[in-house]
Amino acid sequence: MTHPLRDDCPLEYNLFRRQLLGGGIAFIGLAAVPYGVAAFADTVPNMPLPKFMEVSSLLINHQLNGDVGGRLATAMGVAYPDIEQNIDAILVIARKNNAKIVEDFYPDIPPGKLQDAALAIISAWYSGVISEELGSEVYAYELALMYQPASDVMTIPSYAISGPNGWNASAAPLADMPKF
Amino acid sequence: MSDNYSADVVVVGTGVVGCTVAEHALDAGLSVLMLEAGPRVERWQIVENFRNLPPSLKANWDAAYPPKPWAPHLETYTDASAAEYLQLEGPDALAYRQGYVRYAGGATWHWAGICWRLTPEDMKLKSLYGVGRDWAFDYNTLEPYYTRAEYALGVSGPSDPALQWPPMRSKPYPMGQLPFGPGEQRFTDVAAKIGLHNLPAAQARNSGVSYNGRPACCGNNNCFPVCPIGAKYDAATTLPRIEAKGGVILANAVVYRVETGSKNAVQAVHFFDQDKVSHRVTGKVFVIACNGIETPKILLMSKNEKNSNGVANSSDQVGRNMMDQPKISAQITMAEPLWTGVGPVQSSSIMNTSQGDFRNVHTGALFRMENAARSRVGGLAALKKGLVGKALDAEIRRLSACTATLTIEHELIPLPYNRLTLSAKKDWLGLNKPNIYYDVSDYVRRSTATYTLPILKQLMAGLGTTDSQINNFYTHSDHIMGGCIMGTDPSTSVVDADCRAHDHDNLFLPGGGAMTTGGSGNSTLTMVALAMKASDAIVSQLKAG
Amino acid sequence: MTLRTRCLAIAFSLLILSGIPAVCHAGDANGIDTASVQRGAYIATASDCTACHTAQGGLPFAGGMAISSPVGNIYSSNITPSVSAGIGAYTEAEFARAIRKGIRKDGANLYPAMPYTSYRTLSDDDVSDLYAYFMHGVAPVDLKPQQTSLPFPMNIRLSMKVWNLLFLDSGTFAADPSHTADWNRGAYLVAGAAHCSTCHTPRGFLMQELADRGFTGAQVGAWYAPNITSDPLSGIGTWNQAGLVQYLQTGSLAGNARAAGSMGEAVEHSFRYLSAADINAIATYIHAIPPVRDPGDAASRFSYGQPSSAVVTLRGQNGVRSDDDSAPSGAELFQGNCASCHGAFGQGSKDGYYPSLFHNSATGLANPNNLIAVILNGVDRTSAIGQAYMPGFGGHPSDMNQLSDAEIAALSNYVLSQFGRSGIVVSSNDVAQERLGGPSSPLILLARVGMGLAVFVVLLCAILFSFWYRSRQNTGRLKIS
Repeated sequence: MTHPLRDDCPLEYNLFRRQLLGGGIAFIGLAAVPYGVAAFADTVPNMPLPKFMEVSSLLINHQLNGDVGGRLATAMGVAYPDIEQNIDAILVIARKNNAKIVEDFYPDIPPGKLQDAALAIISAWYSGVISEELGSEVYAYELALMYQPASDVMTIPSYAISGPNGWNASAAPLADMPKF
Repeated sequence: MSDNYSADVVVVGTGVVGCTVAEHALDAGLSVLMLEAGPRVERWQIVENFRNLPPSLKANWDAAYPPKPWAPHLETYTDASAAEYLQLEGPDALAYRQGYVRYAGGATWHWAGICWRLTPEDMKLKSLYGVGRDWAFDYNTLEPYYTRAEYALGVSGPSDPALQWPPMRSKPYPMGQLPFGPGEQRFTDVAAKIGLHNLPAAQARNSGVSYNGRPACCGNNNCFPVCPIGAKYDAATTLPRIEAKGGVILANAVVYRVETGSKNAVQAVHFFDQDKVSHRVTGKVFVIACNGIETPKILLMSKNEKNSNGVANSSDQVGRNMMDQPKISAQITMAEPLWTGVGPVQSSSIMNTSQGDFRNVHTGALFRMENAARSRVGGLAALKKGLVGKALDAEIRRLSACTATLTIEHELIPLPYNRLTLSAKKDWLGLNKPNIYYDVSDYVRRSTATYTLPILKQLMAGLGTTDSQINNFYTHSDHIMGGCIMGTDPSTSVVDADCRAHDHDNLFLPGGGAMTTGGSGNSTLTMVALAMKASDAIVSQLKAG
Repeated sequence: MTLRTRCLAIAFSLLILSGIPAVCHAGDANGIDTASVQRGAYIATASDCTACHTAQGGLPFAGGMAISSPVGNIYSSNITPSVSAGIGAYTEAEFARAIRKGIRKDGANLYPAMPYTSYRTLSDDDVSDLYAYFMHGVAPVDLKPQQTSLPFPMNIRLSMKVWNLLFLDSGTFAADPSHTADWNRGAYLVAGAAHCSTCHTPRGFLMQELADRGFTGAQVGAWYAPNITSDPLSGIGTWNQAGLVQYLQTGSLAGNARAAGSMGEAVEHSFRYLSAADINAIATYIHAIPPVRDPGDAASRFSYGQPSSAVVTLRGQNGVRSDDDSAPSGAELFQGNCASCHGAFGQGSKDGYYPSLFHNSATGLANPNNLIAVILNGVDRTSAIGQAYMPGFGGHPSDMNQLSDAEIAALSNYVLSQFGRSGIVVSSNDVAQERLGGPSSPLILLARVGMGLAVFVVLLCAILFSFWYRSRQNTGRLKIS
């Protein structure tokens, strides 16, 4: 009976969650002060937010929420201790290519740890988790980007699609893409 | 606190059946005490639990409902966790991994809300096809109870008899049909081309208007695991009303023994609270309605000197004839979009495939497309492909739109070897876990090989399937039936036509367990109809004194 | 007896004998003027008689509806033409006296929950048509409804005579020739049938309307009827004619307001059935009410807030929980109870059916009672565009979601800070009071204290007098033989 996310579950799983939570809580305060990272950089082993947001915006050409970014940055900093170096390297490649969108520089990211880091960041924003293992914490659901490409037709489950009986059998063409 | 638990009607289980009986008894002026093994929870918590689940767990119905130690239910995370509580054996053991939450409100928290009726033929399998059993009464006898059940739950359905299943109704549906989304419309069109009728489902979901103080469906597409707004009927929505009418509900009260006394009448039930302290509850009439697994389990655990095979078990049928609808699922990818996720997670089915003369050779089945939004599955699959940018977005959209799950649910006839017994393994309270042997039988397997799989493949072809994965094993539909089977002959059945135990005049066992046959459709409406019938009998029995 | 009255009397006797519903399709055969009955039906709709005189699930106009007032529940009477239980024995003059002066056939006073202070402005013709409708267009119901019994001393109806002397004006509506016919028609309807001021005008200590503060807003039971003058900050000055018409006809003006409580009922039972001309006339008049500003309003109540959400930080924080003995934050309660329909960002649904919580008067008013009331009691309002429905969250014991006073306070404070007017704080006590039907009045207590004091003073005088009398006796001034 060891469910990692339950509040009445054994201690070892609670610790895992508290560890992430601790980082998260520290970052709630941080998120309120967008670029005031310096004060916290010494207390939590994590990623500076501005850099994380910069690389995220280059890898994902959509609107990204700064508060969610703050939580992801902290969590990824804990889960991937060398992520800051990888992000620095990816940013170098992006700047070299004068990149505005991900297609401008992604092919030049070498396979291996840099590409893995890039895909991990993309996956985090899209799925709202940084690990799909049992017990992974959810940083975004309503704002998880993977629900956006089909959002003109299907609802994000547990949210209303319309008023009562306000939906019908028509659907937008597959070639459309919602703006997000 | 002294043990003074007593009421005219003691109801064990606060699911849809228990709540139906409780409310009926309260309306008739009787006192009611309800005992629920698990906790009372707030709807908003379950909704937030669901949203807080990682995407890979959102499909697990139980992940939003962590069980209490004293009221364990199936946990589906891993095979190891799934083997904790239900002890399953037999060639189709996997197919009896039944999901039911042990919370106040019961399994309707997470049901799909579908309310098919049995057909007249479904109730006469033995006389018509030489298989299974005949019910103790016919469709016409059950029909008024179906109507009452539909009005009690608030069922929406089509007004055109050509779209009704079956089109034998004394009153219209309480509410009109919910609109189809694009997926259901396309599936309907494809099915029609091969002579199959995909009908709008009768469903306990408020259609366009409020009903019984609950709002109308707004397409949350979250019916399982939980309707965030109570537009789908679930028994939890009735609990405050039951209390407002004077019903008393005790949560975290696990009944473990039925006590019989003089004339073999039931005198009391005993329950453990969450501190493992035992309490005794007396009453005039006892109703055990904790679903088709927990009810026979309690009866078997209650064996005593006079009832050496278990309470209500002189027939040896308690725990036998376990039924469900063995399911085959197929994951398909199509060339053209289907588009799920618009409207409820299930809103239609092909039912005519469940009926026919072939039933003397093999069973029938229903077919359906699942309407749960595929964006989660599609998104996760696309992310695994290492795509970025526009290509990633396009692939997510494509997989969201062009993939689906198709389902076949076969009817299973009552077979005495499909049996629930008490496992030697004990749970946290020291009570036997349930052990179930399950073999769907050749009657079902023959159907899959020669009838249902070919139809499924035709549907898949009609949908323009480019890639598919069809399970070669049966899975559960969570429609637990048969363990307290109804019949006129006390030597071969557990309860009579009013769900009264043959052996004990004041013990009623309405619900799935009492169903003589299950048909291919979801069992809940029939369970509620039986609960209504039992309630009438309980009230007249008590008023007669 | 005039021909008309005789014919009415005959018709009435026929009704009693036959027991058939009093809709006389035969028309003038019994001397009944069907046109008058039909006009009366329309005026009754415009006056929304049914809102009070038809109980929930009760027969039309049979009374028994509990109207909560700050001094207790007042039950509406049976106004069907039943002789034993309703107004079947009323003459037209007695009917008019009830409507205009608040006096029953037996001479007892009605409480001004019956808005006779407004209905007194109805024209003689309209009152006559109303009488025809209630006598011949409504089925008699021989069931006596629950009687009103307010706490002492309010149960002494005689006190209403004094109140009426002080506060009841007389006379029917007089048109103002300096305004258009449209405006005058609107003024007539607003002052009389629609009786808007009985809710929207604040009342004094003795519960009389304060005419000099007309339409500037008042608490009505659990709901607050806001300022509807044309002030752009405190009233509805930002609305145009079309918007106001739409609001009256449907109860809904997206990005502004949705009608609930008594206003929702008024839309459902009255405004939606009025002719387009009459609705437009009402809108013309209301639109022209001179602006009255509340100095506390820095912005319009429809303009507050923007999309925002706590999910950015809240999502995933609490994991999966099975217990309900935690004290949830307002944000959690919002996410779990409200966001499914109102959106994770409070933006409502794309089709506008579920309103946004910003740009919404319920969260933009300085008085948060409407927000509390709607959370407790929900919305159920049907108009030509269908049913607008929100469930209540504990206002009824049978509501499927029962939120406590503390929970509703936390939720309200979250909603107000995220989407509404800042600086408004809701306490558990505020919610508890709303749950009971709104603020109560100290009137009863003070009246009793006042009467107690009066009795004390009288007794004291009597005692003092007796001492004086005896002392005078003892000094021989008064000879007693």
